[in-house]
Amino acid sequence: MVEEAATTQIAARPVEAPEGPWRLTLRRIRRDRWTLAAAILFAFIVFCSFAGGPIAGSIVGHTSTDQFPYAANENYKPVGPWTRVSTASYIRSNDYGDILPPRKGTPTTLLVLGADSVLGRDEMLRLLDGGRTSLEIALFAVFVSLLVGVPLGILAGYFGGFTDSVISRLTETIMAFPLILFLIFASVRLSNTLTPIGWGSIVPEGVFAVSLLIGLFTWFYPARLVRAEMLTLRNAEFVQASRMVGASTSRIIRRHLVPHLVPGLLVWAAIAIAANILLEVGISFVGVGVQASTPTWGSMLSTTWGTIFSPRTYDAASYTPWQTVIPTVAILLTVVALNQLSEGIRRALEPWSSR
Amino acid sequence: MRRMLTYFVRRLAAAMFTFITMITLTFVLFWLIPSEPASFVYPAAQHLTDYQIGHAHHLLGIDRPLVEQYGDYLWHLLRFDFGSQWSGAQLVENKVLTEQPIGPQLASAVPATLSIILGGALLVVLIAVPLGALSGRRIGSIGDRTIMIIALIGICTHPMVVGLILRTVFGNQLRWVDPGGYCQLTADSSAICSGPVDWASHLILPWITFALLFLALYIRMIRATVADTLHQDYIRTARAKGAGEGRVMTRHVLPNAGLRVLTMVGMEIGTAIGVCIYIEAAFGISGLGNLAVTAMFGTVALDLPLILAVVVVITAIVVIGNLAVDLLYAFIDPRAGDTLRDRETKSLAGGVI
Repeated sequence: MVEEAATTQIAARPVEAPEGPWRLTLRRIRRDRWTLAAAILFAFIVFCSFAGGPIAGSIVGHTSTDQFPYAANENYKPVGPWTRVSTASYIRSNDYGDILPPRKGTPTTLLVLGADSVLGRDEMLRLLDGGRTSLEIALFAVFVSLLVGVPLGILAGYFGGFTDSVISRLTETIMAFPLILFLIFASVRLSNTLTPIGWGSIVPEGVFAVSLLIGLFTWFYPARLVRAEMLTLRNAEFVQASRMVGASTSRIIRRHLVPHLVPGLLVWAAIAIAANILLEVGISFVGVGVQASTPTWGSMLSTTWGTIFSPRTYDAASYTPWQTVIPTVAILLTVVALNQLSEGIRRALEPWSSR
Repeated sequence: MRRMLTYFVRRLAAAMFTFITMITLTFVLFWLIPSEPASFVYPAAQHLTDYQIGHAHHLLGIDRPLVEQYGDYLWHLLRFDFGSQWSGAQLVENKVLTEQPIGPQLASAVPATLSIILGGALLVVLIAVPLGALSGRRIGSIGDRTIMIIALIGICTHPMVVGLILRTVFGNQLRWVDPGGYCQLTADSSAICSGPVDWASHLILPWITFALLFLALYIRMIRATVADTLHQDYIRTARAKGAGEGRVMTRHVLPNAGLRVLTMVGMEIGTAIGVCIYIEAAFGISGLGNLAVTAMFGTVALDLPLILAVVVVITAIVVIGNLAVDLLYAFIDPRAGDTLRDRETKSLAGGVI
């Protein structure tokens, strides 16, 4: 009697369309405060990097490459945040070499985050424009490595056998060697051909070259991920079923297997963007990155600390901590946001895994 | 035992394969990339004549058949002879070439880099295990979040910047330790500084720099493993038997994390050598990273023997390190074959270099 009542109750419920996996994921992410905050923070960073530079530039009235010699003192120490400096294009000095103040009446301009170095460029604009360059490099490199890694991973994982051993051995061999040495070698060899490729101020010279090289040397990660996923899926029941009804290999891969790869790759991509930003900093310190005049977060740090061939030690008379703190905080915020985002996406997609 | 032996033999074969592949790859790249080694012999020449090119190639030994060059190199390598580098070669009376041998350079560079890596790795373990365990016991607590944020700051500040700041503050200003350079571990009366005390006092800052970068990675991993393991049945059993929290941690939870740490160490050896490029630059240590960058840049032309030497030594370190990890792994946990290793990939720190 009781059982019967329960059955009718269930039957009486209105039939809803089942929730799709993506809607479910989105709902889980919306419930996760930290991940939501990370997503908003990352969106804010992307917005600032791409639109912030031009907007802030038009407000303060100069660009990230304008130089203000009066923004550094006689010890080459750049001014700190929120300073008004003269726009004079050269430093006046008397016959004894003493520095004179700028001529009366020269207009001044506001450096919101101070100057970047002895050249006296606007640190804030360099931070914003540098963010754009760094993010462009990171995003495009992820795109390139997906473009190479996913097909190779599918080949290795789905077909197995000889293809798999060749691809796997190759990835293992190259992954063992320090990545930065490959990058230095390739950058030095290919700089003449690749570096001039650019697209006005939107894609500065060298950005394409650096991101292409990073992408070409990091495709092992997505390839390994995809291969592992393919190995577990290729004999799954739903794949066998579609094989049985006569679906072609390409259809099985496209319609049934590739959608399964998206979650794992999404989790990887968020971390990879962060890793590529850090990698770009490393490349800047070797001095083979984008052109010196183009700001990136890495080149902002290497303007202060020198390259590995001529490292500079800290000197309180000519250094301000701001030049290190500002780009580092920007990198930190981006990496923390992406890290949390990646964690959150993974938790939302696979709530059963506790890691 | 038999299974372990086959496992080891298979690993050894894979290691040899990696080794040969890297050498072959270097040779093939050298043959493919246009570069004129004759400029090493005639550095002052604006335009090289055909005679000069031919003569230089003969002196450098690259006019021989490619297979002979390749075989010759392997043959010398078997006897640990790395040959001489082409950069800085001096032509004497247009007949003989005096070249600088690579062997001694490696002999001084490799110990320096290995000292940084091994000492740094020890420091990482010493700090990461307690912090990771602390964090993993209460995931989401204030302490856990603080530890994770500090660890992330370590990843986001580049080793070059950290190194230079540490060097300036503790070396140049406070003068607590020596600000840079390297002293060999074994006592040598002819050197300016030597012996274990000098060695450690010169290396303590590089170790800290190294540890700061890798801490985040290992804390996170130990934390995840601890959090996973604490829910297991055998932990409840151990507690039910009356084991204290300390004993549960050290005897039942942390050994599990050890296995995963080991897997990761094997994966990150290459990364560690890459990081050493920056650490060596920041502290003025002439190590392997320094040598590698010089070789890869090759401002005049490609210096094949030097590049080969660097590739061979780095690959050897990575391969031997991995073999050791595999052996240790098979010894600790005989059921684990390649399955576990295949699933792990390098993580965020892999991106730093």
